[in-house]
Parts: sequence; C-alpha cells; structure tokens
Amino acid sequence: MTANGQDTKPVDPFEALRGVRDAYLDSMSKVMVNAVNSEEYAQATGAFLGGYLTLTAPAREALDKAMLQALEQFSLPSRQQVAVLAERLTHIETRCDDMDAKLDRILELSVSNQPRGDAIPSRSKRTAKKASKSTRPRTRKS
Amino acid sequence: MTQAAELPSLGSMLDPRLETFTRVMTTKAPIAQTPKELVWTLNKAKLYRYVPVLPPEARHPVPLLLVFALMNRPSILDLRPGHSFVEYMVGHGYDVYLLDWGVPGLEDKDLKLDDYALDYLPRAIRKMKAITHSTEFSLLGWCIGAILTTIYAALRPDDGLRNLLLLTAPLDFSNRQNLTFARWTDEKYFDVDQVLAAFGNIPGEMIDYGAKALKPVENYIGNYWKLWDNIDNARAVESWHAMNTWVTDTIPMAGAAYRQLIVDLYRNDRLMQGKLSIRGNMVDLKQLRANLLTVIAEGDHITPPCQSEAILSKVGSADTELYRIPGGHIGIMAGSSAHKQTWPHINGWLATRSQ
Repeated sequence: MTANGQDTKPVDPFEALRGVRDAYLDSMSKVMVNAVNSEEYAQATGAFLGGYLTLTAPAREALDKAMLQALEQFSLPSRQQVAVLAERLTHIETRCDDMDAKLDRILELSVSNQPRGDAIPSRSKRTAKKASKSTRPRTRKS
Repeated sequence: MTQAAELPSLGSMLDPRLETFTRVMTTKAPIAQTPKELVWTLNKAKLYRYVPVLPPEARHPVPLLLVFALMNRPSILDLRPGHSFVEYMVGHGYDVYLLDWGVPGLEDKDLKLDDYALDYLPRAIRKMKAITHSTEFSLLGWCIGAILTTIYAALRPDDGLRNLLLLTAPLDFSNRQNLTFARWTDEKYFDVDQVLAAFGNIPGEMIDYGAKALKPVENYIGNYWKLWDNIDNARAVESWHAMNTWVTDTIPMAGAAYRQLIVDLYRNDRLMQGKLSIRGNMVDLKQLRANLLTVIAEGDHITPPCQSEAILSKVGSADTELYRIPGGHIGIMAGSSAHKQTWPHINGWLATRSQ
C-alpha cells in the first residue's frame, strides 16, 4: 500500500482464475497419482514398452547391420570397436591409478623413515596442484 | 475509452513476463559455481576438491566426500551461489570433495554396483586420503549414492570411515505396496533384459520420465504454473531456472548397475535381507560401524520414508540418528528452506564428529 492507500501491485488477469485452477490441479493430481500407482498402469506401460521394443527390434538390427557395413566400406571403426578401445583405455587408467597408489605408499614410507626435518614434501600435495585442472570460474556471480 | 486505455497496459504487462518465461525455458542457468579443482579421474569418474575458504586451523580435520546418484548430475549439491550445500559446508570449515560419476558410454554398460562401490569409490577415497593426509573421513551418500556408500561402508569397515550420512536412501524394498517403482518394474510387466538389449545403458530420458510420472500433474503442469505465478519475483525465477537446468540435464545409467537395482533390490530386497552379493561377498550391514545419520524426506515420493527407516536397526554402528524433515526427495537439500533446516542439522551432527 502506498501513502495514499493505492495498491501498487499490478493487475493480474489470472488472479481470479487461480483458485479454480489450483483446486482443479489438486484434484487432477490425486486422480493421476492413484492411476500411476495402479497395477493396470504398470501393466499398460510394460506392455507398451515391450511392444515398442519388439516392433522396432528388426529395424534397429537392420540399421546396425547397414551402419556396420557402411563403416567397414569407409575403413572406419564401428561403435562396438570404439567401445572396446575405450574399455582398454580404462584398464590402462586403472593400472596407472594402481601405480599412483603404490608411489604414494612408497613416498609415505620414505617420509616416515626420514630423520625429522628432512621430510620430503608429499607427492600428492605437489602433484595435485600441478596436475589438477582448475575448474575455478574466472568470475563469480553472487 | 477506459477499456481501450487498459489494453496496451495488459500487453505491456505480459510482454516482459513472456520474455522471462521464454528465457528461463530456453536457456541454462549457471550452476555448480563453487570454485573447485580436479584431483583425480578414472574413466568417466572425477574427484573434485572444493577450494577451502577458511584457514587450515579453522577447518575440520576429517574430510567429507559427497557421493550422488548415478542417473543425475551431482551439481544439485552445488546449485547456485548463495544457495549451495557445498558452499555452505565449505564455509563451515569442511574439506569437501565430490565424486562425479560422469556420463556412462556404451563401453560402460557392464559397470555394476560392484564396480562403483568397490573400485571407483575406494580409489577416489584413497586419493582424497593421500591429499588430506587424513586416515579418517566422512561420506555423504544421496539416493543411489546412499546405496553405494552403504555397500562400501559394510564391505570396507576398516578403511577409516568415521561418519556416514545417508540422504533419502532407498535401502529397504520390503514394503512393495508403497513402492510405485517396484510395481512398474515387476517382472510380470517389465522385461529389464529386453530394455538393456535394446539400449545398453538406460537412457536418461527414460529415467526422467519414470521420476516425473510418479507425480505427473505436478511435474508436467503444476511446475510451469508455479513459474508463471512467480514470474515477477526475480529470486523465485532464478531459483526455478537453476533447478530446471539441473532437472533437464539427464544422463543415462550403466545397464548392469540398473539391472542390479531392479533385480537385486526392487524385486528381491537383497540388501536388507543380507543376501546381496558384491564381488562374491555378502553385504553384511552389521559390519557398518561408522557413526550414522539417516535423513528422511517425509514427502518423498521417489524414496518413500519406509525405504530408509530399517537401516538403523540393521547396522553395527553405536552412534545412529534418524532425522525426519518435511519436504521431497530433492527439496530437502535444494529447496528454499534447506539452508534453514537440513544443512544446519547436517553441519551440527557432523561438526561434533569431525574433530
């Protein structure tokens, strides 16, 4: 309210309908929640999904086959071959991580065996700073 | 004359509203802005360390690792500046780490819960311990992240886990009557192997549909009305924009992990019955001995409270607490009242156990 008693809130043409709308949505919501919780809904969605997958399976297979042949013609690797390659890279990464763990352990032991004052700075602290890729945003919105 | 004068004002009133609505619906809000650095990667997984804002002497010595679900981005934990759980915890002196599982590709379709809980998670923890020089740590698992952290905590009780926080944890699948997902994925109706044979991984859109279809009117209609009703409130609009950016950024879930979730958990409740085998070892919840805080969202339709209650009586922890809070699956951590209720409670519980 302003000093002269005038309401400064802008006129909302939907205000009058809002109560009706909310009441309708509430009742609809209850109906729909009951519907999706029913065995019939579970059965219907399951049947729809199963039917869709069964019907589209031949088309998917044909497309995969055609794509595979086309890629072979162009001497390009298939999706499956790229996936196998990615798996192998993950194995290599895992090995590297194992070695990283062993190195950390060795350094930890060597530090604990050093006379006090000669301790080597932790590898993790040094490499974390060096190797890590900073994702700090340049500017920060508040 | 009066009516004619009012018509342009109606138009000028709607124009900026429509403009805002269109902007929010067609653009992405800047989320996950808290400064962080990448400290470890393996395959798609990444471990981030958030840049501390307090001096070392003012910080808690026990680091905190956040583990989110497999089928959504973890950016919900760091939604937007001024309203971010990560920012809040960093500001309260925690050395916060976040494990981002990444987006699985076709090559990851065989990744199981076993791999996440006993390979990726322990490796990330090892790296975190190496960086912090701390032998002890705290874990916070949310949703599927809570399943993974529970499995890890039970199978690796001597790794130094001091505190375990489980948020809206779907662990107990015995009350099938209350679980809509259990009904939808019942073997009578849902052929999980047929779906995986077709897609490899479960498409993000399918997971998104599943979550939204639990409350279709709210998610497909009410949500947009809520935006329109608050379109003049810049704060509310930005909040909605940030949440919508997160919700619409769906990611697939590794096929084998999804199969375990459906077959071992939703259909057979193997975790609570002590029959869940992970890499040949039975998950015995009595082996979980860390201090345990379980947070339940009373209005959670994705993980109903009945799924998170029984864990307390199954674990071997001497220090346990069940904290109930009004709100939904995501709202309790990212909603407008999270910073007044959930976050302070988590901080209060964890601070006394992180010295």
